Amino acid sequence: MKALSYSAKYALKSFFTSLWINVLSIFTIASGLAIISLAALFFLNVELFTSRLPERFSMVVYLKADLSQQDAQSVSETLQGRQEVMNVRYVSKEEALKELKQALRDSRSVLDGLQDNPLSPSVEVKLKKDFVTAAGVRNLSEEIKKIPGVDDVYYGEKIAETAHLLKTSVRNSALILFASLLAGIVFVSYSTVKILFYRKRDEIEILKLLGATKGFIRGPFVIEGGLIGFFGALLGAAGALVFYVAITYRLSLVIPLFKTFAFPLSLLLALPLLGVTLGVLGSLIAVGRLKV
Amino acid sequence: MISFQNVSKYYESVAVLKNITFDISKGEMAFVTGPTGAGKSTLLRLIYFGEKPDEGSIRVSGLDLASLKSSSVPLLRRTIGVVFQDFKLLNTMTVFDNVALALRIRGMAEKEIRAVVTDALKSVHLRHKSDSLPVALSGGEQQRVVIARAIVAEPPVVLADEPTGNLDPDTAGHIIRLFLDMNLRGTTVLIATHNRELYRHTGKRVLKIDQGALAGEAVG
Repeated sequence: MKALSYSAKYALKSFFTSLWINVLSIFTIASGLAIISLAALFFLNVELFTSRLPERFSMVVYLKADLSQQDAQSVSETLQGRQEVMNVRYVSKEEALKELKQALRDSRSVLDGLQDNPLSPSVEVKLKKDFVTAAGVRNLSEEIKKIPGVDDVYYGEKIAETAHLLKTSVRNSALILFASLLAGIVFVSYSTVKILFYRKRDEIEILKLLGATKGFIRGPFVIEGGLIGFFGALLGAAGALVFYVAITYRLSLVIPLFKTFAFPLSLLLALPLLGVTLGVLGSLIAVGRLKV
Repeated sequence: MISFQNVSKYYESVAVLKNITFDISKGEMAFVTGPTGAGKSTLLRLIYFGEKPDEGSIRVSGLDLASLKSSSVPLLRRTIGVVFQDFKLLNTMTVFDNVALALRIRGMAEKEIRAVVTDALKSVHLRHKSDSLPVALSGGEQQRVVIARAIVAEPPVVLADEPTGNLDPDTAGHIIRLFLDMNLRGTTVLIATHNRELYRHTGKRVLKIDQGALAGEAVG
């Protein structure tokens, strides 16, 4: 405890003694963490957006026109029995025409002169959230087509595939970005502490001659690394917040979707913790690799 | 307390110390003397593990230095107070903090440190310089700060390398009396000096080194 108190005081003193090199490191870490925050923000929003898609996703299974009411009911029951299906709604030929007329109420003339009902009966299928993936929907569609009485299956193939592709690409890019920047931040702390360590090698030599343990000598450097990470993270979080407010506000004036862009406050709270962790990690590598 | 058995030290095949054997008992005070370059400082560095011998064995405070683990080196050094010839003061710290460092390293509480450091600075007549930085002090004053740092934790062994080299005769006399008082209280003291006046009339053992070899013993 006494050693910790000494280390903290010495680290603070050293932090201000070597202010410029520390400030430079803080700005470098801040830039990295701000980019990480913005990437995380983008990723979270894409996740949020794509996670809402399945709730709106449905398939339309068109039945053969000459299918009897009883057979249509049977197909409907078969579909309802599948594990991927949340619920089904049978739409008869008559209902389909009624819905079409309702939809075209302003352009009813299109349907004038129609003798017979050309529409097929269909079953609207709502899928369970977990099964709405591009591959899952495609496979299901193929299997449904094989059910006797089914004429065709329609689903938003492109929407499902695009959402899936967007989600995967953003996730992979974010992971690569996170890994590179996190490694970069650890390297910045490592280099800073290493420079400070070399600058103070005479002091370290004296401490060793006086009987200081490795922990006593390394403690202040590790704390200083943590401080650099902490202040870098605070600045990074502030930068990300300012950037978010400024950009989303301007974009939301043109694209209303940006009004729904979320900024989780937990990200702001987690960032200083991440900064301290990375700073301490870099310092530990620096003081561990150098012989004390 | 300090035992050398056939110790030799070479720098790039040049022998700096040759086959040195001597014992300093617990509570003894002795001087190591000889001309500049005789090997006095090297001998002291071997005691606090600043260097390792190439031949022979050294025991200090019951520890065999040949088998000393690196994790035990700080423990050895805490049993020894060293007055370095080149001072080794931290110029970013005040006089008080430089002296207090020896106690902080040993984990002493800050409340105790204040009183103990103040006493140590008083004993070297530097209490009024407590808040000064070493660079603001004269050579003699810096040397006295180093002495205060070496004795403040009351280690069982004190080594001093030319401890009065920068001091006027009066202050040098005072410092020697300080070492004699410490020795009276049971501290083992070994002082390396080329200044004969320092050990004359002390009645203490004098080890003479010449060209790296023990050239004899006398009483000061």
